[in-house]
Amino acid sequence: MRRAAVFVALVVLAWTAWDTGADPVRFARGVPWILDFLRRMLPPDLRVLPAALLGAIKTVEIALLGTAVAAVLALPLGFLSARNVAAPPVFHLARATLNFFRSVDTLVYALVFVAAVGLGPFPGVLAVVAYTTTSLAKLYSEAIEGIERGPVDAITATGATRLQVLRFGVLPQVLPLFLSYVLYRLETNIRAATVLGFVGAGGIGFYLQTYLRMIDYSAASTVLLVTVLMVMVVDAISSRLRARLV
Amino acid sequence: MIEVTGLRVVLPPDVAAVDGVDLVIRPGEFVVILGRSGAGKTTFLRALNRLVEPTAGDVRLGGRAVTGADPATLRALRRQIGMVFQQFNLVRRASVLDNVLAGRLGWAPPLPTLFGRFPAADRRIARECLAQVGLADFAARRADTLSGGEQQRVAIARALAQSPAVILADEPTASLDPALTGSIMDLLKMIRAQRGLTLIVSQHQLETALAYATRVVGFRRGRVVFDGPPAALSPAVAATIYGEEAGR
Repeated sequence: MRRAAVFVALVVLAWTAWDTGADPVRFARGVPWILDFLRRMLPPDLRVLPAALLGAIKTVEIALLGTAVAAVLALPLGFLSARNVAAPPVFHLARATLNFFRSVDTLVYALVFVAAVGLGPFPGVLAVVAYTTTSLAKLYSEAIEGIERGPVDAITATGATRLQVLRFGVLPQVLPLFLSYVLYRLETNIRAATVLGFVGAGGIGFYLQTYLRMIDYSAASTVLLVTVLMVMVVDAISSRLRARLV
Repeated sequence: MIEVTGLRVVLPPDVAAVDGVDLVIRPGEFVVILGRSGAGKTTFLRALNRLVEPTAGDVRLGGRAVTGADPATLRALRRQIGMVFQQFNLVRRASVLDNVLAGRLGWAPPLPTLFGRFPAADRRIARECLAQVGLADFAARRADTLSGGEQQRVAIARALAQSPAVILADEPTASLDPALTGSIMDLLKMIRAQRGLTLIVSQHQLETALAYATRVVGFRRGRVVFDGPPAALSPAVAATIYGEEAGR
């Protein structure tokens, strides 16, 4: 049984290697080109630094606004897709909706929204909202499903309404987790937002793509450095905040 | 007055946890429900305010039907029934005062409470109840920073904040250091004396039951096997309640 599984796995992997044209020799032949690419990136052209910084700020803005709006929109969805809160038909419908929309990446949403509202950071914000709402709702609902039953019973026994039970029995248990998930999503959204510019949805990705197209590699390397710096700074702030929540 | 008629609670998969209980509890009684673990004490108490839905039978509080009551009526009835749990069931991350304030949820206007706003009168009541259990200075502390005994006192304050006619206490001392049993039971006794409310406390300890109850109701396998004053509880009756291994 185990041997058969290993055999099947090896066959599948061999097939994928053949079908994707994966070839170590071909990669080895490409290495000099990569080195040439890196050589041409150095030194970074610091004249484009102001533009890169502005782009980075816009990217952070896209991620920040998109995540904040999604964090709120995900609240009702999270409760509706928690097994221990919602009635079974509601729960199944909500879960199915979440899984459907979550299977589409932010970048794909960006393509749709650029077509809908035009170029710029705004479609980027919409794309972040679309993806993050459903992915946060999923995380929220899992936090809600993991709560202790005791406080919920105690609040119910006081004669509280259903909404009051959610507010006083459930929310205090899950809120720190929710905030931690929101910060985690903010970190991943910063990364996701760096490439939104590639499809015209604003931010630092726009500059990266522009300089690469212009074959101005030393300008592109400045943009890359700013991107790395931006991601590191946001990660550091966010993980520090998260550590204080738990 | 609490009137229980033909109460049956069948828990999944197919266990008759409460199996035909008739009981009338008069105002001001201190009833101890005595029985081994698994005798149906917890399920019985939880059926009284329908935290567990009874399978058959009736529960009435002050003449009003709890069983079959619509949601609004049920909430109004639950408001009159404070409940204390074995595991305290406080919201750990919330402050002590916020935990006690939750006892006012049935009285305060609902919409503002969702934003954490309670009328000043409700806040005053919560503080008074906290003072009554001797924890006035703990109001701002986070609930999970308190000891087990203190947490149970907060839970009692929360039940008191409901201004209830009845308090149900489900094994309130079972998860505490045995040395604290007396202090929690004394507190319940004092509250009953001061407020004239009805107490229904489940216990598995015979000595505690005898020391505090005005009336002991012995449970075995979901049925009442004894109902009378502590003085009438002979060793033979205790043996019936506890099964073969009489005593404790």
